[in-house]
Amino acid sequence: MLDKIIKTFMLTVSLLFCLNGSVLAADVIELNQLVENAEAMDGQSVTVSGEAIGEALERGDHAWVNINDGTNAMGIWMPLDVTQHIKVFGDYKHHGDQLQITGVFNRACAQHGGDVDIHSDSITVLMAGYATDESVPALKIIIGLMLMCLASVLGMIYFKAIKKSAG
Amino acid sequence: MNTFNGRFYSIFIISYYTGFVVLGIALLMVLPILTAVGLQEWNPFWDFIITMAISVILGLLLIIIGKQTRHNKSFVQWKHGFVVASLSWIILMFLCAIPYLLSGHVNSILDACFDVMSGFTTTGMVLTQDLDHISLSLNLWRHMLTFIGGQGMIVLALTFLLKETSGAYIFYVGEAKDIDLVPNVKGTARIIWKISMVYLLIGTAALWIDGMTIGLNPLSAFFNGLFIFASSWSTGGFAPYTQNMMYYHSFSYENLTIIFFILGSLNFGLHHAILSGNKKELLKNIETQSFFISSFLASILAVMWLARTGIYNDAITMFRRVVYNVLSAHTTTGFGSVYARQFALEWGDFGILILVIVMLIGGSACSTAGGFKGLRVGIIFNSILADVKRLLASERNVKVFRFHHIKDQILSDGLVKASALIIICYLITFAIGTLIGTYYGYPLASAAFEAASITGNVGLSIGITTPGMPTVMKIYYIIAMYLGRLEFLSVFALIGFIIGGIKKCWTK
Repeated sequence: MLDKIIKTFMLTVSLLFCLNGSVLAADVIELNQLVENAEAMDGQSVTVSGEAIGEALERGDHAWVNINDGTNAMGIWMPLDVTQHIKVFGDYKHHGDQLQITGVFNRACAQHGGDVDIHSDSITVLMAGYATDESVPALKIIIGLMLMCLASVLGMIYFKAIKKSAG
Repeated sequence: MNTFNGRFYSIFIISYYTGFVVLGIALLMVLPILTAVGLQEWNPFWDFIITMAISVILGLLLIIIGKQTRHNKSFVQWKHGFVVASLSWIILMFLCAIPYLLSGHVNSILDACFDVMSGFTTTGMVLTQDLDHISLSLNLWRHMLTFIGGQGMIVLALTFLLKETSGAYIFYVGEAKDIDLVPNVKGTARIIWKISMVYLLIGTAALWIDGMTIGLNPLSAFFNGLFIFASSWSTGGFAPYTQNMMYYHSFSYENLTIIFFILGSLNFGLHHAILSGNKKELLKNIETQSFFISSFLASILAVMWLARTGIYNDAITMFRRVVYNVLSAHTTTGFGSVYARQFALEWGDFGILILVIVMLIGGSACSTAGGFKGLRVGIIFNSILADVKRLLASERNVKVFRFHHIKDQILSDGLVKASALIIICYLITFAIGTLIGTYYGYPLASAAFEAASITGNVGLSIGITTPGMPTVMKIYYIIAMYLGRLEFLSVFALIGFIIGGIKKCWTK
């Protein structure tokens, strides 16, 4: 009997965890979904997640940080001191910090000239950004060098041909 | 001395001049190569080295094939100019697509060609993915293509690479830039490039300074300033980030772009006249009158319409989200201050229709703008007025009607017919684009919006242009951008030349 109770308890707890997990995942909304459902989501508190890109655009005691979640990109309006926690912004040589932001979504923000934006209430760095490894394939270098040699040879033939025809 | 033998001498002429155009583009690749070295972007460095070497090889081969032309320049005819222009654009599209393809940011060669054609034609539609992570050197290349495409790359290559340019006006017209500011084409081309370079310095400096005030770091502000100016002035619409103009969150930055894209959409002749002291030309010119009337009406109508929806509640918001997009569409720039899908979801049929109309009208002739041009709209409108006046006037009274464009010109039937023909060609291209869009299941309004944006070389999207759209649409959009930019004549000449060549071979 006790065995059955323990088994039922364990199953219930594991189910709870599963359900809890799916609720958390559903809470994070994609940026494209916000754009598609802007009217319904306007003024609501939302949680989004994405990579910080470019750089923080400082405006007084606040700043803009643009994030990209793979479906779209959007500006997050946040206090300046919070941006200090974001160490890496995404660009060609970096994968930016992965942020999770909870804040109020604005379809046409009155404070910011009609921007589609999110005014953040809380920000968490889910995963630190990193420098991306840039290695050039050897084949690319070999092909490049061979083509350069070929172009130089042809250049010499061209100048000889032009000189000959001019003479 | 005539050294041309046989019936196919045209091929040598076309090969010779096309070779120089290809070589010119190859030399321009030095800039992204130097940028890649400076910023230690080694993958793009090798991508550009490979592309440059291929371009040099092809360019030199074409010149060597057609080297007899050096002694037979008197044989160059109008048809050659048109064919060189249209053929060069196709060859350059493939060559310039190589760095895109090697970067891994495009799905296919077709997507790469689409983006290059979009740049050359100053359209600004994008299929390149993950813009936020592309290298600065590739970004420089994207914006260089749109800047050069806007000023006229054939004439750039030919005037700077060839010593003798007495016949180069032929090539100039082939690229749909038929204006003679001074008696020779070299002088005209140099004036156009001088005007553009002066604005490039002023524009980049203004956006650089403003960029730093809105929070960009100095180096980033410089590159962003350079890129955004190149896009504004050439009415291109490319931007270095996914969000386009929305990345900057700045009213001042948007205002600067408005100034530069309006200036870019004006006729080079008008710039020259004003810089030469003839300031009245701005008010008298038929194109500026046409542009200011149509932009004012379109902006008012769009503001009135969107005020009903209640989305935008104050004047600044209306200006930044509505007037900005109307002006961007009308000048065929394509910078967007709202998301593509917002047009479909929030602007409604009336708002979309307003944008479709202004995108098709476009900017001025012989400017960096696309569309069927304010000059042609002005000519057709004036011809309607003239016909009405003729109807009402006495039959014995023969009156000559005129319009003002740089100088007073007679409104001849030939001019009206030529303008109407080009407008009809644009409308047919737009109609086919809309038809194809609806065939693939897109709503009529969305298909019309995207087709107008492509035909008018605008670049605003309603969300149709994505890497996942049907291949047929990508191919048609490339053709429509190309036709729209070269204003049909050169492309028709190329088709005629190919058919003529096949006939010659057949009858031999």
